[in-house]
Amino acid sequence: MERCAVVGIGQSKYSKRRADLSIDGLVREAALRALEDAELRFADIDAIVIGKAPDALEGVIMPELSLADALGAVGKPIHRVHTAGSVGASTAISACTLIESGMFQRVLTVCYEKQSDGNATWALGGGRSGSQGAGGSFAPWIRKYITKSGAPEHIGWKVAVKDRLNALKNPYAHLHLPDISIEKVRESPMLWDPLHFLESCPSSDGAAAMVLTNTAGAARAPRRPAWVIAHAKRTETIQFPGRDPVRPAAGVECAKALYKKAGITDPRRQIDCAELYVPFSWYEPMWLEGHLICDEGQGWKMTDSGATELGGDFPVNMSGGVLSSNPIGASGMIRCLEAASQVRGTAGDYQVEGARIALGHAYGGGANYFAMWIVSSEPAPSFH
Amino acid sequence: MEDIAIVAFAQTPSYRRYPDSEPALLMGLVNAILAETGLERREIDFTIAGSCDYLSGMPFAFISNVDAFGAWPPVYESHVEMDGAFALFEGFVRMQVGDIDTCLVAGSGKSSPGRPREIFPLQGDPYYHAPLGLDPVSMAGIQAQCLLTAGKACERDFAEVVSRSRRDGQSNPYAQVTADVSPDELLKEPYFASPLRKHDLPPISDGAAMVLLARGERARALTRTPVWIRGIDHRIESHHPGLRDLTTLPGLEIAAKRLAIHAAPIDTAELCVRYSPEEIVLREALGLDQGTRINPSGGPLCGHPVMATGLTRVVEAARRIARGDARRAIAHAASGAALQQNLLCVLEGGA
Amino acid sequence: MALPPVSFTLEYPYTRTVGPVVGPFLTGLRDGRLFGIRCRGRVICPPIEFDPETGETLAHDFVEVGPGGRVESWSWIAEPTRKHPFQRPFAFALIRLEGADTALVHAVTAAGPEAMAVGMRVRAQYRAERTSAITDVYFVPEALAVDSYVPPGKGEVGITDHLISLVYDEPLTAARERYAQGLLAGRFIGQKSPKSGQVFIPSAGYDPLSRVLMTLADDVELPPTGTVVGFTVITPVQYYGQKETEPYIRASILLDGADTPLGQQDIRDIPAAEFRVGLRVRAAFREPASRSVDDFTNRWAGTGNCIERWVPTGEPDVPFEQVEGRMF
Repeated sequence: MERCAVVGIGQSKYSKRRADLSIDGLVREAALRALEDAELRFADIDAIVIGKAPDALEGVIMPELSLADALGAVGKPIHRVHTAGSVGASTAISACTLIESGMFQRVLTVCYEKQSDGNATWALGGGRSGSQGAGGSFAPWIRKYITKSGAPEHIGWKVAVKDRLNALKNPYAHLHLPDISIEKVRESPMLWDPLHFLESCPSSDGAAAMVLTNTAGAARAPRRPAWVIAHAKRTETIQFPGRDPVRPAAGVECAKALYKKAGITDPRRQIDCAELYVPFSWYEPMWLEGHLICDEGQGWKMTDSGATELGGDFPVNMSGGVLSSNPIGASGMIRCLEAASQVRGTAGDYQVEGARIALGHAYGGGANYFAMWIVSSEPAPSFH
Repeated sequence: MEDIAIVAFAQTPSYRRYPDSEPALLMGLVNAILAETGLERREIDFTIAGSCDYLSGMPFAFISNVDAFGAWPPVYESHVEMDGAFALFEGFVRMQVGDIDTCLVAGSGKSSPGRPREIFPLQGDPYYHAPLGLDPVSMAGIQAQCLLTAGKACERDFAEVVSRSRRDGQSNPYAQVTADVSPDELLKEPYFASPLRKHDLPPISDGAAMVLLARGERARALTRTPVWIRGIDHRIESHHPGLRDLTTLPGLEIAAKRLAIHAAPIDTAELCVRYSPEEIVLREALGLDQGTRINPSGGPLCGHPVMATGLTRVVEAARRIARGDARRAIAHAASGAALQQNLLCVLEGGA
Repeated sequence: MALPPVSFTLEYPYTRTVGPVVGPFLTGLRDGRLFGIRCRGRVICPPIEFDPETGETLAHDFVEVGPGGRVESWSWIAEPTRKHPFQRPFAFALIRLEGADTALVHAVTAAGPEAMAVGMRVRAQYRAERTSAITDVYFVPEALAVDSYVPPGKGEVGITDHLISLVYDEPLTAARERYAQGLLAGRFIGQKSPKSGQVFIPSAGYDPLSRVLMTLADDVELPPTGTVVGFTVITPVQYYGQKETEPYIRASILLDGADTPLGQQDIRDIPAAEFRVGLRVRAAFREPASRSVDDFTNRWAGTGNCIERWVPTGEPDVPFEQVEGRMF
C-alpha cells in the first residue's frame, strides 16, 4: 500500500453568501490555494475527486461535468462522491485511496456548497412544506441524550460559545461573533426544542480543497506533510426496529476500526486534538462518547470540565467547527483538512501546541453515515 | 497491481416502468449474487453504489437504497452520484490498496417518474446552458450534425446502428425495446432533433446492475469463470462545446492508450451508445474497425436504465466472457451530453 | 380502485451570484451586447474565468463580439420541451460570433429546418423583457434580423435567477398503496416480516434487516393507539413553498404492535408542556370524505391528511426505559 500525505490545503472564506463568486470561482478559490500551498499547478495533478451534498442545494446535477474545466480536469479522471453530510470526509478518504492504490501520484480533492443559490432547509426537506431541517431530525435524539445522561442544560450553550470563540481566531470562518456568551445563546430563539438558534450551524457558501500525494511526492513537498495514518467509514440502515440513533453502532464501529488501523488504544490520551462534525451543540458530548473518546454518559462532563477548550487536554473544533461554518458538502472535508493543518503546524492562532496526532470526522444522513481519518506529523507514529 | 476479477454479476431487465421501488429493484440483485456465490453479507468487505437523486426528484434518495444492500450490522460502503461504472472504478481502486478481498458494486435508477429531457439540462453549465433547457437529445443532434458536416458519417450510418442494435436486442432477455427494421424503413421516419429521429434515441428505462469483485485467489475460489479487470480508466472532455471538437474524444483516446486496448484482439465491445451517432464517434476514438462486434446485447438503444447503463455494459461483456463466447472485451460508460465523460475497462477471461 | 400516481413538483427559484466574468456577460446581454474574454490571443465566448489549457485565472479583458455570427452546427427541435426558449419548433445551434474564436450554444428561431444550414449567418436579437439571464438573447437568420434599440440598464448584474421546476409522477408501490388505502379507510395497515416477525409501519414493502421483499400476505392491521417515542417543537423557517407559520410539535408515535414508529406526526392541539415521551395517544381520523393522501411518496413516511389529531388516552405514561429503544 502506498502512503498518502496531505501536502496542500486551501479554503475559501466562508459566508452566508459569496456574492463575489460564481460556483466556478468558489471551487477555484479553494483549489488554487491548495495548489499554491503545495507549489503545484493543475498540470501536475493526475486525478480529481469532488464531493458535495444533494444537487438540489444548487440545482446543478452532477457538477463534475460543468466544473471539469474550472478544476483543470479535462483529459483526466474526475469523480464525485455523495454520502450526505459526511460527504466531505468520504471524499477525502476516496481521494486518499486513489493515492494508496498506487494508481495516482497527485490528487486534487475539492468539496463545496454554494448554498446561497438555493435554500438548505427547502432541500433538506425534499422540497416540501414543513421541512424539519437537520435540526428537527436530531432534536429528539438530543433530548434523549440529555434525559439519559442527566446532563445539565448549559452543556449545549457552552459548546456553542466555545466553538464561536475559537472561530474568532480563524479568518476563514463564517461566523465571527465576538460578543457570544452563554446568556446570548440561552436567550436566542428556540428552533427545534431543545436547540436554540445560536446552538445551530449557519448555512454557508464555501469550498475546501487538499492536494494529496504519495511518499515520493511528500518528500518533494515545500512544507511539512500531514500523513494519513488511518481512515474508516461505516454506514448503518437508517431506520429499523431497535436502532439507536443517539449512540449509533456505525459510529462506534467506525471509531473502533479507525483506532485499530492507527494502532491507537487510548484515543483520549493518544490523540492530541479533534475536529468533530458538530452542527448542533450537543453533538460534541454525544460524539465524544459515540466515538469512544470517553465512556458513555461522560461526554457532557468532559465538555463541562473545559477539556475540549483550545487550552484543554483534548481540544475539539479549534477552527470553530461546523457551528461556525457549514457549507454542507464541504464541512466534512474542512474537519479533515483542519486536522491536517494542526499536525503540519499551520493552524495559526488556533494551533494546538505540538499537535502530532489529530482526528478529522464527519457524520451525515440520519446519523447513519460516518467517515473519519487520523493524520500525523510523522508517517509512522508509535503510541504508548 | 492486484488481480481483480468480476466473480458474479446480475442485472434487472430494463423496464419502461418498474412497479416497485428502487431499493426493491436492487434488493433482488443483492440476494441473487449472495445466493450464487454462497457468501454471507458480512463477507462483502466494501459496497459502492452509483445513483442520481434527481431521477426521482428526491434529495437523499440514495439513502434508502442502502436498505437493499443491507447495512445492519454496520458496513463499509460509499456512494457516487454517477453511473455504477464509476462506482466500479472506485471499487477497483479501493481493492488495489490490497487490504480487502471483496467488493459489491451497483448502479440503479428509475427514469420513469420524471421527464428526462427536462431534468438533464441541469447537468449543463448553470449560467449558460441550463436556463436554455439545453438537453442531451438536442446536444446529441448537434453532435450528429457535426459528424455529417465533417464527412465522418451519413444518416444511413446512424440507421444501420439502430437497425443492428435493436435486432441484436431481440436475443437479449433484459432488453426493453427491440425491433426488426431495416435502415431504409428507419430513414423514412421524420426528424425529432435533426438529424436524429426518434429511433436514434434510447428508451426511458428503470433498472439496475450489479457486480461482485474479488481479489486474486479469493476470486478463483469464488468462481470457475472469473472475468479479470485488466485495467480501468476514465477521462473527461471540456464541458463547453465551443472548446471541443464534438466528433472526437481526446480523453477517451488517452484512456484507450493507457489501457493498451489493442495489445490483443478485442472480441466484444459493449459501448454506451445512447444515441446512434455516438457509436461512430466511439468507434473512431477507440480505433475499432468494422470487424469488432459492438453491443451484441443491443446496447442502451434497447434499454437505458440511467445510472446503471454503463455498469450494464460491464455486465454484458462479463457475461459473454464468463460463458466462453469471448476471451477479451472492452466495456465503456459515458456520462454527460455529447459523450463528455468516458470510462473504459478491459476485461479478460482465463484462470 | 387504485389511487392515481403521486404527482410531485420539485420547484425552487434559484438565485445565482454570477461572479466577475459571467456577471459582465449577462450585463452585456441586458444592454443588448455580447462579450467574450481574451485568453492568450484567442477570444472565448461565452466568457469563462480561466484559461482552459493551463487553468490559470484570466484577466478580465472583455472583448465585444457579434451581433452576427455563423452557424457551425445545429439541430432542429421538432418537439420542444417546456424548458426550451421557444415553445414552437426551433433550432439549437453552435454559433461562432464575429470576433470570437469559440462557438456558443444558443437558440435560433427560423421558419423551419429548411431555413437552417451549416455556415449560415445569424444575428442576435434581444427579448423585450430581459431578466439578466442567458435567455435574454436569441438568434435569427441574418435576413430576418431587426435592429431594435436595447436601452442599457444601470449597474452590474450580480445575480441571475433560474426558477427550476420539475414534475414527477410515480404510482405508489403495492405496499404503499395498501397502506394509503388503509388510511383512507381509517385503518393502520403495516407489514410483518416473514423472517423476523417484526412489524413495519409504514412499510416500504420489504424488511431491510433480512432483505426480504414482503407481499399482501404479510399485511397486518394495527390498532389506532400508541405511545409517543420522540418529538421536537419546530419553529418554522420561511422558505419558498413553506406553508407553516406557527410552531408545532413533530412527533414519532409507536403504534401498539408496531416495531417502527410513525414519524412526521404534526401535533398542533396538545400544548408542548403536556406533551412528552411516553404519552399514550389514540388517532382520531378525519371524516372519510376529507381524508387524502395527496402528498404521499414511495420513499417518505407520513399519514397524509387522514388523521385529524392524536388524542391523549388518559392511560398512565409508558416508562422511559420501555420506549428508549424504540425511538427510531
